[in-house]
Order: sequence, then C-alpha cells, then structure tokens
Amino acid sequence: MSLQPRRDKVVALPDAVAAVHDGAMVALGGGLSARLPMALVRELIRHRRRDLHVVGSAHGIDVDLLIAAGGIRRCEESYVGFEQDLGLAPAYRRAAEAGEIEIAESCCVTMLSQLRATEMGLPFLPVRGVKGSDLRRLHPEYSEISCPFTGEILVAVPALRPDVALLHAPIGDRYGNLHLDQPYVLDERFAGAAAAVVATVDRIAPSEDVVNAGITIPAHLVSAVAEVPFGAHPASCYPNYAYDREHLMTYLQAAQSGGDDLAKYLQQFVFDVDEAGYRELIGEQQLERLADYGSSTQAWKELFGTSGEPT
Amino acid sequence: MSERFTIDEWFVVLLARTIRPGETVFHGFGSPCAQVAMHVARRVHARDINLIEGAMYAVNPDPLFIAPTSNDASLARGAAYSMRFEEFFDAAIRGDVDRMFLSGGQIDVYGNTNVTAVGPLERPKVKLGGGGGGCNLAATIKHLTLWTTRHRTGRTLVEKCDFITDMGHRTSEGTRAELGYTGGGPQTMITELGIFDFGADGKARLTHIFPDVTVDQVRAATGFELSVAGNVQRPAPPSVAELAVVRSLDTLGVRRSEFTDRELARSFHRHLDSCAC
Repeated sequence: MSLQPRRDKVVALPDAVAAVHDGAMVALGGGLSARLPMALVRELIRHRRRDLHVVGSAHGIDVDLLIAAGGIRRCEESYVGFEQDLGLAPAYRRAAEAGEIEIAESCCVTMLSQLRATEMGLPFLPVRGVKGSDLRRLHPEYSEISCPFTGEILVAVPALRPDVALLHAPIGDRYGNLHLDQPYVLDERFAGAAAAVVATVDRIAPSEDVVNAGITIPAHLVSAVAEVPFGAHPASCYPNYAYDREHLMTYLQAAQSGGDDLAKYLQQFVFDVDEAGYRELIGEQQLERLADYGSSTQAWKELFGTSGEPT
Repeated sequence: MSERFTIDEWFVVLLARTIRPGETVFHGFGSPCAQVAMHVARRVHARDINLIEGAMYAVNPDPLFIAPTSNDASLARGAAYSMRFEEFFDAAIRGDVDRMFLSGGQIDVYGNTNVTAVGPLERPKVKLGGGGGGCNLAATIKHLTLWTTRHRTGRTLVEKCDFITDMGHRTSEGTRAELGYTGGGPQTMITELGIFDFGADGKARLTHIFPDVTVDQVRAATGFELSVAGNVQRPAPPSVAELAVVRSLDTLGVRRSEFTDRELARSFHRHLDSCAC
C-alpha cells in the first residue's frame, strides 16, 4: 500500500462505505463492547453488501448484526459473542449451526502475526502455538516451518491483507489523523496492513486538538473519514460515552427470537433511518446518560445494571 | 462480619488462591469469576503481583466495581499504564506471563478445552463464541488455572472434546514437550463440585470436594474416568478478608452470572466448615 497524501478526506457516511465491495475482506476495529465501527456496519447493511470476509479478534454486535443481515460469507474472528454477561451471539450461532457461513475462527496471536507480516512486507510469520489445537483444521492455508537455527517446528501463518479496515475514533481531523483511547485492540495493525482505511469519528476536530490528544493512527494511513456522533453506539467510545447494555439486550432479544422480530429490528434501527434518525430512536436522554458516565461512580455503575442470569 | 457465604464467593476465593506472590497474571474476556479472583489475590495474599486486567490490558488497576464486559474503561481505573494488545500478547508468547485463567464448554482429562463448537464442526450443535488468544497463549504462559461452573451438567467434563481450541497437557498430536511448548499447562482445575490437580501423566485428579458434594456425585457428573486422591479434602473456607474483597469489589455481582440459580442457592457456614476442615 502506498501512503496516503495529505488532503482533505472528509466524506459523507454513504460514500465512506463505497470502498467496500461485495466479497471484500473487511477488518472491523475495536473489540467486544468497545469502539466497534457500528455506524459503518449499519451503512454496509443499508447498502446490502454481501459475502464479506471479516477478520479480527474478539467481537460482538458488529459481526452478529452483519450476519443477521446476511452480509457475511466467512468469519475469521477469534471470538464472536457477548461474554458471560449476555452470552452467545444469536445470529452468528444460528448461521454457523445452519452451515450458512464459513467458520474460520482464528486466534488473536495468529491474527496479529498475519497482520504484522503484511506490515513488514513479508509473506508469513511463524507462531509457536496452534499445534495441538483443532483451529489448524479450519485453516488449510497455515503451514509449518523448521527454524534454520534450532530446528524447532513452528506454524507458519500467511500475511493477511484486508481490503479495507473500518475504524471508529472519538476524534480525528479532516486529513484522517485519529486519536483513540485505550484499548486500541488491533486498530493500529489494521491501519498498517489494510489496503484502505475508512474511519468514522464522533467529532472532526482541528488538527491541533488531535495532536494534543495524541495521534494514534496517522493521516498517511487513512483514506477517508466521516463524522458520525455516537458512531460506535451501542459500543462504547471513551472518553465520550460508555456502552449501552440496555440496547444490547434489546438487540439480543430480537436476534434470539429471529424471524420477524429480527427483521423488525433491522428495519427500525438500520433500513428505515440514517444515523441522525438512529440517534433519535435511541433518544437524546439515553445518549446523554451514556455520555454522563463520568459524573459519579454510581452513574457509571447504574449504566451496567445488575448482572442477571446469562440469557 | 457474616458467617454465611455462598458458592460463588467461595469459588472466586479458591481461584484467587491459585495465584502465587510475584506472579504476572491475566484473565481473558468473559471470565468474571477469574476477574474478581485476581483482585482478591492482589488485595489479600499476593500484593506484589502484576495483575493484567482483561481486554483492557491495564496493569494493576484499582477498579471501583467490576463491569459486566471486560474492556470497559472503568476496569482500568487507577492503572498507571495499559499495555497495547501487542505488548500483552508478545509478553505472553515469549514466556513473561506466569498464569492465565481458562475455561471451556468442554474440558477433557488432559485439560484440553473446547470453546469453539459442540458437535461436528461442519454443522455444530452449538457454536460457541471462540477462544480469543487462548490457542497460542496456552502454549507459552507458565501455568494455567482452569475453571468451570457447569460440572454438574455432566456435559462439561467430557471423555473427548468435540474440538480442541486450547491445548492442555496432551492431544493426539503429542505432549507439550513433544510440541516444544514452553508453558507448563493446566496446574489446577476448579469446578463448582471440587478441585483437581494434574499429575505427571497430565491427567486431572480430584483432590478436594465441597462439603455438600460426594465423590460419587462428582463421578456421575464427570465424563472421563475419575481419578481420586488418597485423602480427598474440603477446601479451606474463605477468610474474612477474602470475603470482604469479593463483596466490596463485585457489587454488581458479575461473578454470579457464571452460576445457575440452583448453584447460587448453595450456602455455607463458616463455623461448621472450619470444623470440618
């Protein structure tokens, strides 16, 4: 990949997903409940993208929603689910059990090594693990290599080059400089390895503000940036807002029930609205509550409710 | 001070006690019992550990409560530093992490774990979430503490895992030594029925049972042939200090999400149990 020139890269959200074609290998930024690029995911669904090959580490509603909308052919994440709290990912589970998607489950370390190989311009990197695990059965592309110095047999994993990385950041400038709060997860590696990097930010800020906050991903790696407030919702995007556990439960109820209920969720929260409409549906009051997590320990804790039985 | 305590509290304390002073310890995501346990250890018997908090990779944080997700910023409170994803995984694969907590939908006698799929992989009966980084981490982290809160179902400790996500002591590909793995593999396994160690043959052996459980009940719930230590003991009950940390830190009760209602109803009395021990 050649480095991006310095230019104004601001686009509207619908144009941001133009870089993602049917069948593309897509790296989704963030992880679990943090900084998932949900506005981009919803926009992909609005554009009815199909046959995507998603790659990454531990994910949740981003991948599950894309599967629910029929957008994914091959899933190469290391985990898809809602942790102990809210349990298995309903759409992922249903599609996997019905044989409707290719299960290419990966491991965080393997994925990291494959992205690093691309960043270094190397065809592969070795990993010490994976032997003894059936994950290798899912990946005929892995091979073995004998260390020329010690003779140790290591597993060789090929360089992985996503067609596009979709990331969300709390702030960025017009040129694509992005500041992230921890956890960065694989976003930096995705930015270095993907052929194109498309970002949404809660707010487009003057470069000076992004520099002062600290640039995590530099503009020369970023191809396009769109401003979408609460663009990670229902995931968190600290320091701006906490994750919306209530909304996750709303989604999970629909996804577990499937059929009409799931179709209704997609219609209501994705197809019938743009992102401004989505924020209206979630409601100003709820968004303010999520943004107000820092007002007190009690306020933060209350957002997460009491942990009930796993659903 | 309360004299009564429940199985979830005792369970977390037992997990905590597998941590030794000076260790660098880590729990994966979706592991609330292990998450609370690490803080119990750090505040009671192993104050000098490096506690690496879940998917925040925060080093020695002091959260005010445990969030139900493992990469919430609240969990990093008070940490002077959070590792990057790569920093943590690099440390683990080069052997600088001493202990990790690992669970599984299925676990076999060698401590191999399955978090990928129950049933044939082409058409699984249940597609589980997946293993995160476990498949490589299990090879090089020095010690693994395994746990499950679903032993009683009879479906968790199995003769053979339908899929091995993370290797324990031995698979059909060989032993850890044969595969060149630098980590020691599973050291202890704690279930809601009892505690296992792993012998030189790499197999799990029952060493402790809870006071309301019999060896026969454990055998009935275990899919592999149960090996039992010569003198099966009861685990030492939680101390006042240990219980205080569990109760003051996990005020949302996230640890309880790992247990069924039936298990949560199990409560114990300090006086009686300490006599029995």
